[in-house]
Amino acid sequence: MVPVLELRNVSKSFSATAALKDMNLSILPGEVHAIVGENGAGKSTLIKIMTGVHQPDTGEILVDGHARHLPSPQDAQAAGIAAIYQEPMVFPDLDVAENIFVSNRAKGTWMRWGELYTEADRIVQQLGVTLDVRRAASGLTLAEQQTVEIARALSLNVKILIMDEPTASLSAHEVARLLAIARALKERGVAVIYISHRLDEIFKVADRVTVIRDGQHISTRPIADVTEQGMVRDMVGRAIDAFAMKQAANPHGPVLLSVENLGRAGVFQGISFDLSQGEILCLAGLVGARRTDVALALFGIAPATEGRVTLAGQAVAITTPRQAMDLGIAYVSEDRRKLGLAMPMPIFANISLASLGKLLRAFGLIDRRAETAMAETYRNQLAIKSADVRAEVGKLSGGNQQKVMLAKWLETRPRVLIFDEPTRGIDVGAKAEVHNIIRDLARQGVAVLVISSDLPEVLALADRVLVMREGRQAGLVPIAQASQERIIGLAAGQGERSAA
Amino acid sequence: MKMKMISGLMLGAGALAGLMGSAVRAEPIQATPGQEVNAVLLPKFLGILPFDQANRGAQEAAAELGSTGKLQYIGPTPENSAAGQIEMLTTATTQKQHVVMLSNNAGDQIAPAAEAAAAAGTKVVTWDSPIPSGKGESFFVAQVDFGSIGVVMADMVYDLTGGAGEFAVLSASPDASNQNAWIEAMKTTLATHAKYKDLKLDDVVYGNDQSEESYNKALGLVDKYPNLKVIMAPTTVGIVAASKAMQDENLCDKVKVSGLGLPAEMVSYTLNGCAPEFALWSFVDLGYLTYYASYMLATGAIKGEVGEQIHAGRMGDYTIEADPGREGARRILMGPFTVYNKDNVEAAAK
Amino acid sequence: MIRALHPQTLRLIALGLALLAVVLFFSTQIDNYLSPRMFNRISTSAAVVLPVAVGQAIVVITRNIDLSMGSIMGVVAYMVGEALVLWPGLNPALVILMAMGLGAIAGSINGILVAWGRVPSIIVTLGTLALFRTFLVEHGNARTITADALPRWLVDLPQMSLLSLGGLDLRVTVALALAACLIVGLALSRLRPARKFYAVGSNPDAALMAGINSARVVFLAFVISGALAGLGGFIFLAKFGNITVVAGMGFELKAVAAVVVGGVSIMGGSGTMLGVLIGTVLVDTIDNSLTRLPWLSEFWRDALLGILIMAAVTVDTLASRSLNRLKRRGGE
Repeated sequence: MVPVLELRNVSKSFSATAALKDMNLSILPGEVHAIVGENGAGKSTLIKIMTGVHQPDTGEILVDGHARHLPSPQDAQAAGIAAIYQEPMVFPDLDVAENIFVSNRAKGTWMRWGELYTEADRIVQQLGVTLDVRRAASGLTLAEQQTVEIARALSLNVKILIMDEPTASLSAHEVARLLAIARALKERGVAVIYISHRLDEIFKVADRVTVIRDGQHISTRPIADVTEQGMVRDMVGRAIDAFAMKQAANPHGPVLLSVENLGRAGVFQGISFDLSQGEILCLAGLVGARRTDVALALFGIAPATEGRVTLAGQAVAITTPRQAMDLGIAYVSEDRRKLGLAMPMPIFANISLASLGKLLRAFGLIDRRAETAMAETYRNQLAIKSADVRAEVGKLSGGNQQKVMLAKWLETRPRVLIFDEPTRGIDVGAKAEVHNIIRDLARQGVAVLVISSDLPEVLALADRVLVMREGRQAGLVPIAQASQERIIGLAAGQGERSAA
Repeated sequence: MKMKMISGLMLGAGALAGLMGSAVRAEPIQATPGQEVNAVLLPKFLGILPFDQANRGAQEAAAELGSTGKLQYIGPTPENSAAGQIEMLTTATTQKQHVVMLSNNAGDQIAPAAEAAAAAGTKVVTWDSPIPSGKGESFFVAQVDFGSIGVVMADMVYDLTGGAGEFAVLSASPDASNQNAWIEAMKTTLATHAKYKDLKLDDVVYGNDQSEESYNKALGLVDKYPNLKVIMAPTTVGIVAASKAMQDENLCDKVKVSGLGLPAEMVSYTLNGCAPEFALWSFVDLGYLTYYASYMLATGAIKGEVGEQIHAGRMGDYTIEADPGREGARRILMGPFTVYNKDNVEAAAK
Repeated sequence: MIRALHPQTLRLIALGLALLAVVLFFSTQIDNYLSPRMFNRISTSAAVVLPVAVGQAIVVITRNIDLSMGSIMGVVAYMVGEALVLWPGLNPALVILMAMGLGAIAGSINGILVAWGRVPSIIVTLGTLALFRTFLVEHGNARTITADALPRWLVDLPQMSLLSLGGLDLRVTVALALAACLIVGLALSRLRPARKFYAVGSNPDAALMAGINSARVVFLAFVISGALAGLGGFIFLAKFGNITVVAGMGFELKAVAAVVVGGVSIMGGSGTMLGVLIGTVLVDTIDNSLTRLPWLSEFWRDALLGILIMAAVTVDTLASRSLNRLKRRGGE
């Protein structure tokens, strides 16, 4: 069988750094081909080369057995290659239907809006999603935006669909649906290149798995010949213990943060929990359960409108992030681009951003040397992979950006640390590192709140699990009684149904 | 004894100087041709006709005087007028130009630069539009006496209304010092002479020397004052825009336009009756006289003091006098100006 | 009923309400305000700004700005006037094409520098604002284009009407401006390639990923804005007849004001030509009405103009917010 896409000895360097070295890859029609690798292994560069964003320095790309030059994303699209990215790429001002058909040349010169809406509706329904196709994309959740992107690719009748961390922000049943879509595409003869850190998904959907490391091809095997341990070993070049489920809660100190009936009108309500020093509380739930909104309320970005918050015995009303920070609350957000990091700024400036007060010298000048030293400490401690703390944060991989953001908040010496999807889009190796950091912090007495959609992660980290459903508290489960089934059951409203 | 003699001598010298002074007044100072005067003619901005005409006059005078130095005509672009003028004046100072002839568009903002120029030996002579405070300026070559402009404006309204009726003024900008002075002078004239008692000034509006704004303001006046007979626009941009507006809206029979305008721009409106009468001085002459006076100042023939009388080539004799409009400042008054109508406008427009 | 309406449509309704409020206010203050004469005054005055505002809107939709439009207008008005002085027999249609062509050439300079030179548009067009004006000063050499040197048809154009209903004129210049607005409006909502202006302005990264050639789209936006500034220059020439180097100065800001009031997002990606039309008319109505307000002194006019524009925008925002709330309530 002629591969639908083939890369031969492709190399690509950025300034002095080699991102890809003699990469070989061959994708067969109608297969789901998983590509795995650690942060910085070269996956992003690989995708960008396949989609025409970057051009290889050497080597060649073959589509259907013919050498093709892909100087731009348009050309890649014309060759039948489309991609869905980790950060969804939608046009906030355009409505859903137009987002789907925005680059569809087959649609002719004139816009026939009626037809457009009908067809968009059909495609969205094929995905099994309810979505008003006349809505502007600006109000969509990340999961909905991704649906739009998938619909866009579907409408283009692509031969090769690259999915870059497609499930990172999806809830369990959305993941299942996406995997079903991937299989359906495969039936129609579309090759799916599936990039994910969630190994369980790969075993569910992939036909073959390619592991890359340090910009090089390590192995390509049929899924039947792959074991989880083998794959992880190939990825990191050493064996790693897959994180085990926590058996019992860690010992912890007195209650630090107490939340009673917290709510924000029209968003969420009735959230109550105590969080002790050294405790890790995980907020679980499906996408749309409003978990992030609880975090935003506690951090003062979208303040609560009802309920009581007590911190170290004192009643507090948190209405601004500044106030939250002064109280010792820090929030490591999910959306690094929007809430967390100043992408064009260097690493050191991002780390010091929330604690500039400490670095001030006479006349309000910043002590550059102390600032750099501070950044260096974290670079070593958190193993941020960058030669220089002066590097632009936007140029780092997702996992390293996450570490920079964490460093920024650690420097504020928080008493309460809120993590929102801390390992979203991060590979297995880095994930374990982040988990260790979180556990360390708890051991040092920090009260930790983790929002996570990744159930194995929740079970590995949490002392207790608070499950939310549609803006309400569905249950608060000690780790000893928690299981994947129980949490999903609460999140999906199973308990309610049986009670009714 | 000796002391007495000296003081006597000094007294004598003083008397002699006084005598000589009066002698000078009778006999205008002549320029010495062929000297090196590096001069800059700095208009409000480049690219419009009146300033170009002034340059023509200045070049004519420079050729006549046979200056061995250079006369440069430089200026800012329209959108950068005030800042550009200040910058160019400063540059001229550092280049050790002998004299800068300035039609000021920067108000008193330019005064520090002018004072610095004067301190560094670069004389600043203003023409067309002075520095309001007079700071840094040697003297101002005034096109006309502001008081007499007031009379001429009042007279033109008188002619066009037949002696009675309502009119309004369309001026340049609210902070244009020459226009404001002229309008004040016109108001004084209207108030003090019985001849004008039946003329009623309805309003003063400003078109900011922009065609579209002046055009809209002119129509606004017509709508606001149904009995309006004359729009008096003492600005070359305003008068053309107002004339075109009346023509476009078929209002020329009802409302006449007058003011200060360039014959070349006004000829069609004068001939078709939209603007039967308007006035202007010669910018060529203004440039000529300004150069003559500046040359003599730069060569030291005059000091720029009140009472000094100069002979300015083909234009005859002029005297430096105190500027009645600006305390402590001096001026040379050119005058007079020409009133244009259908009989002489075509010849002037050529 | 309100539920079926698109947010954009609600926005336009709100803007229309703001315009209505302004007109009603002035009709109580100015005698004989709701008259055909007032309609003609405002329509002809807005006709000069409208093409420029439409061009500016396209550029703003792509998340850029064109500050050189006034200078382009001036250059075009002057050069077209010059051509007509030399060749008075030129066909009117050809003259309009020439005006738009010259404008497009100037716009393409902006476009190349912004799209491929990767220089921020505010810097590029601030530069060309001065550059085009300087070119005009050099080229014009202090000669004024005067109305009497222009062909009769052009001088008479501002008073020509396509049709007249009880004193309400549809003047040719107004029709020209409206045609430009309508054509661009239709293209932006109906023509698939034109939707790329919105896509590029809405999310440039996503546009790249979606296979849209952003550079070409941005370039095109500047070419069109140049061409429309050229059309504005032609109307300017016809209306004022007398063209000096200051022609068109400040129109870029009038256009930006009209565009922003008309609901085009300065962050790019959204805005309609109907909004730009209403925005232009709204700003121009306020401006022209204030000059006719009997009790208002000249010195307060500019301040009041600013206050009223802000008030209109506030009315518009509040109205569209409450309409949206109504819509949401209707949806439940």
